[in-house]
Amino acid sequence: MGANQKLRRRTVWLLIIVLAVGFGAVITRLAYLQLVQGEELQRRAIEQQLADTPISAKRGTIYDTKGKILAQSASVWQVVMAPAYFDDGAEGDEQRSFVASRLASILDLDEAELLEDTKQNTYYVSVKRKVESEQKEQIIELQKELAEKYQKPGIISLLDDYKRYYPYSDLASSVIGFTGSEDQGLWGVEYQYNDYLSGTPGRIISAQNGIQTEMPFDYNQNIGAIDGSSVVLTIDETVQSIVEKYMKQGIIDNQVHERGVCIVMNVNNGEIVAMASVNGFDLNDPFTILPDQKKEIEAIDLDYLIKHDYFEEDEDPYKLSEEKKKELIEQAQNEAESAALARNWRNKAISDTYYPGSVFKMVTLSMALQEGVVNKDSRFVCSGAFQLYEDTIHCHNTAGHGTQTYQECLWNSCNPGFIQIGQLVGKTKFWEYYQAFGFSDKTGIDLPGESEDQFFVHDGVEGNMLDTDLAVASFGQNFSITPIQMITAASAVANGGKIVQPHVVKQILDNEGNVVKNASTETKRQVISESVSEEMRGIMEENCISGSGKNGYVAGYRVGGKTGTSEKLIDVNDDGADDYIASFCGFAPANNPQYAALVFFDAPLGGNYYGSAVAAPVFASIMSEVLPYLEVAAQYTDEEASNIDTAAGAYSGMSVDDAVAAAERDGFTVTVKGEGSTVVSQNPSTGASMPTGGTIVLYTDQSGTDEKVTVPNLVGFSVSEVNGIASSYGLNVSVTGMVSSSDSTSTTQSVPEGTEVAPGTVITVTFSGGGIAD
Amino acid sequence: MLTIENTSRRRARDYESERRASSKKGRRKINFSLLNIGKGIDIPFVLLIFVLLAIGITMMFSASYPVAYYEIGDSYYYLKRQLIFALIGLVVMIAVSFVDYHYYHRFAAIILGISYFALVLVLVLPSQEGGVHRWIGVGMFGIQASEISKFAIILFMAHWGSRYYDRMDTLKYGVLPGAAVFLSTAFLLLFEPHYSCIVIIGILTVVMMYVSGIKIKWLAIGAAVLAVLILLLWVTGMLTYAMERMDGWGQALSDDLDRDMWNSTWQTRNSLYAIGSGGLFGLGLGQSRQKYLYLPEPQNDFIFAIVCEELGLVGAVLILLIFALLVWRGIIISLRARDRFGKLLGIGLTTHIGLQVVLNILVITDWLPNTGISLPFFSYGGSSLLTLMFEMGVILAVSRTSNIEKS
Repeated sequence: MGANQKLRRRTVWLLIIVLAVGFGAVITRLAYLQLVQGEELQRRAIEQQLADTPISAKRGTIYDTKGKILAQSASVWQVVMAPAYFDDGAEGDEQRSFVASRLASILDLDEAELLEDTKQNTYYVSVKRKVESEQKEQIIELQKELAEKYQKPGIISLLDDYKRYYPYSDLASSVIGFTGSEDQGLWGVEYQYNDYLSGTPGRIISAQNGIQTEMPFDYNQNIGAIDGSSVVLTIDETVQSIVEKYMKQGIIDNQVHERGVCIVMNVNNGEIVAMASVNGFDLNDPFTILPDQKKEIEAIDLDYLIKHDYFEEDEDPYKLSEEKKKELIEQAQNEAESAALARNWRNKAISDTYYPGSVFKMVTLSMALQEGVVNKDSRFVCSGAFQLYEDTIHCHNTAGHGTQTYQECLWNSCNPGFIQIGQLVGKTKFWEYYQAFGFSDKTGIDLPGESEDQFFVHDGVEGNMLDTDLAVASFGQNFSITPIQMITAASAVANGGKIVQPHVVKQILDNEGNVVKNASTETKRQVISESVSEEMRGIMEENCISGSGKNGYVAGYRVGGKTGTSEKLIDVNDDGADDYIASFCGFAPANNPQYAALVFFDAPLGGNYYGSAVAAPVFASIMSEVLPYLEVAAQYTDEEASNIDTAAGAYSGMSVDDAVAAAERDGFTVTVKGEGSTVVSQNPSTGASMPTGGTIVLYTDQSGTDEKVTVPNLVGFSVSEVNGIASSYGLNVSVTGMVSSSDSTSTTQSVPEGTEVAPGTVITVTFSGGGIAD
Repeated sequence: MLTIENTSRRRARDYESERRASSKKGRRKINFSLLNIGKGIDIPFVLLIFVLLAIGITMMFSASYPVAYYEIGDSYYYLKRQLIFALIGLVVMIAVSFVDYHYYHRFAAIILGISYFALVLVLVLPSQEGGVHRWIGVGMFGIQASEISKFAIILFMAHWGSRYYDRMDTLKYGVLPGAAVFLSTAFLLLFEPHYSCIVIIGILTVVMMYVSGIKIKWLAIGAAVLAVLILLLWVTGMLTYAMERMDGWGQALSDDLDRDMWNSTWQTRNSLYAIGSGGLFGLGLGQSRQKYLYLPEPQNDFIFAIVCEELGLVGAVLILLIFALLVWRGIIISLRARDRFGKLLGIGLTTHIGLQVVLNILVITDWLPNTGISLPFFSYGGSSLLTLMFEMGVILAVSRTSNIEKS
């Protein structure tokens, strides 16, 4: 073989190897990278090419039913860092420690942790959210410094962020709820409607080059944040405020240990107009416990540990090392703090279960009437106690109520009477009605934390009652329900027998104010007939006029209601006696019910624990302000008409003589203050509600406006006595509550004794009959 | 008998022609006249060069303008220079194509000497960025010493293989000179250091030996020695160590990189991002995103990553096909050369082009460590483009002697 032939052959081999192996390998490799791995590589490329900055969506607003803002997000800033831009080496280390120390001092953060953050190799590290404008200015200064010192302005940047504000701080706190550090709803409506409120975060996607300076062309994509929808509650701020004012007063007056609950509900459509767990907490600062709670927690000592079972049986608490003791106390304090927070946040209106007590008698009687097991000839004898097998069940009236009609059983709130009514209903029907009234299921209210009832269970079957169970259940003992279940059932008793769905959200509006969703009235079922409901309304109205519920009477509004005092079977204050829940549930007007309210005080320790004495007057105070506000038409008796309030006229701008004449013509007593010839202002102001024949003060210059009157004690008197005292002080009294009864005495006054007020100020005084046991 | 006779006669004729070719007197008249620019040279090969140069400069411009914009403030900075180099290069190529390559016979040893001198000189001169000693001269007038070495070794091996073609099957003539030249050059390159060039020179030396006709057994022995050496390095763990030291070779896409590794694999990683982003059809000419300061020096060794990003797999494969055609045409030219020197010279230079292309792409796809192999006709750089065009000129000169039909 010739050398040339060999060369030729070998060259051909070479060509084949270079083309087939070399180029073949290269093309295979490229195809693998571009086709198989392409997507992943492209994703990673885009990740670095695009500065992808999240933009917070503005959280929607929570409005009350009248459009008042209950929760709102305001603009603040978020500080972010792009540590990938730090240089390498010693220069970079210097930049890092500079940035970490400056950020730590501006934003009050831990410097060591920040230094760790600066070592990450990313373009986005969130340094701090919800930065206020003062700190934002300092961050801008820092950016300038970074630009001048290291030519690296892009390391720190500011993004829009939002902070939640609650203008009414603790109002309806357990209903509205609050948000967490990431703007996520944690409790209440904020939690329940988080998906609507939170909106969709946007992104700014901008092309960045490898050293993050501007690109020579525009390459920005802005996916705007979609702001959250707004939520309109059925809660009315005014009603809620009235409710909380009286509930707070009731808690103080009755030394209530475990807080109080009040729900005001529209009986026809299920809208919750007010829902209060008092005392609440400051929504703007939900993670701080109350000063009293703090004091208690700080006082935790060895005795507390012993009492709360922090030791094993074989441990001797007194032989603990100091260190161990400190550790245990700290643990106990942390647990106590968590418990205190949980307690503050707890929405008792839906989370607490309690024995409904005598309030439940309206349900029992409704069952009996619907089943037709009682009629006008039925009689129920009470001897003060009821003997059932070995058990003796006492009536609150140990002397006995004698022979009663079923109406009288309710008016007397007679336990033996209701045991007999319950027996007529029977266990099976009782359980069926219990379910039908909605007690066996959660109401499904649109709030988090609703509890379930606890009814009798025997042999593993719920609703399987013994005779004694039926006996006590007919007057509301030994089974637990939630306040929201009770008021829903009471609404059904009042509204013609319909179980409506209670709800707190009326409407959802998108970020442009368009209605996204309307809550409609949802009627679950008819549980009693319209005629039974009508009869119940009459019985319960009469109960508030002359029966056990008369302290709940509200002049002019035909209130129907029922008191309740239920045993807690818990001794909250360690005084050796079990404590009670005092409650009152009523509705108005009885001829055409519109609103129901449930007032509930958990463990009143002020000596009086009856629902009639503790809860009913508060119910009356609340309703007397709420019903006129809600434009429920008043229907006064003649006697009440004399105490009717009228609106103060407009006298400002008139000459003194004309004004006095006009005010007297309107039926007011007039006091003129000052030397001027023209009236410049008046108290009560124009349109304010004041009693007919009350005193109106007309000011003719500024001299008299500083004059103050000290409010006297108006509690513990009859109506005429109160009017006398008030007029001697130059004050007006608006009378509310049970005034028709001969033994009415004033129980509360809207402005506390000792307060300095202007003459002519209207003070609402609530009256009630004597303490009636139920 | 006939075979033997034929073979020996053919040998005698071959030898005679080689002898004649290497002596001035016996040279035949070939069309090296300046007035016959188009005559004699291989037109398809020239066309392929023009096509590659046009695509190469276009892509170099596309890849370089963001860097030029940011770092120099003139988007056309690299384009303008590369165009000038290309024009000079074309002139050089045409001029060289008129030089009868047989002159190089006598310069083979001298150029090899210059190569050694340059390799030593470059070590004495101050180092460049990254602490390497590769360049002689500065800026536009700089040249990599290894560029000289590659040409010098091809020329020497062609010279030697044609001069002693009948003794190439011996150890003394076939193997030892090539091995000696390679090992000595490689030794000097170790100090630069320039490992990729050692690989290229090694492969070129072996290729030249192989086509020159050395016994396969020597290649087999060489391969065995290499295998044992690698095995030894592997067993002692030095290979792993070396691989780790090679700037995170093969780990560019690892999710678990410390900051140093992240930085050292930055270029390769971004090359892979660019290639992957291209997909089948690419982002479109000029649409690369990775060239915006992500891929460092996109106009140099990693230019093909930008090509892949902009033109996709389809564009990349088309360009590779043009390269393959160039290689194929270069081999055809070489095989048809009148004499053995021309054949070997052509084969060596053509293989060099093919080798550069393959190795360059293996580097940018992270199959080889990132060691500085430029892509012919594409990568920016005056001296390498001029060297390349000079080599193309030599191949064209060879083509004038080949018996390819010419228009």
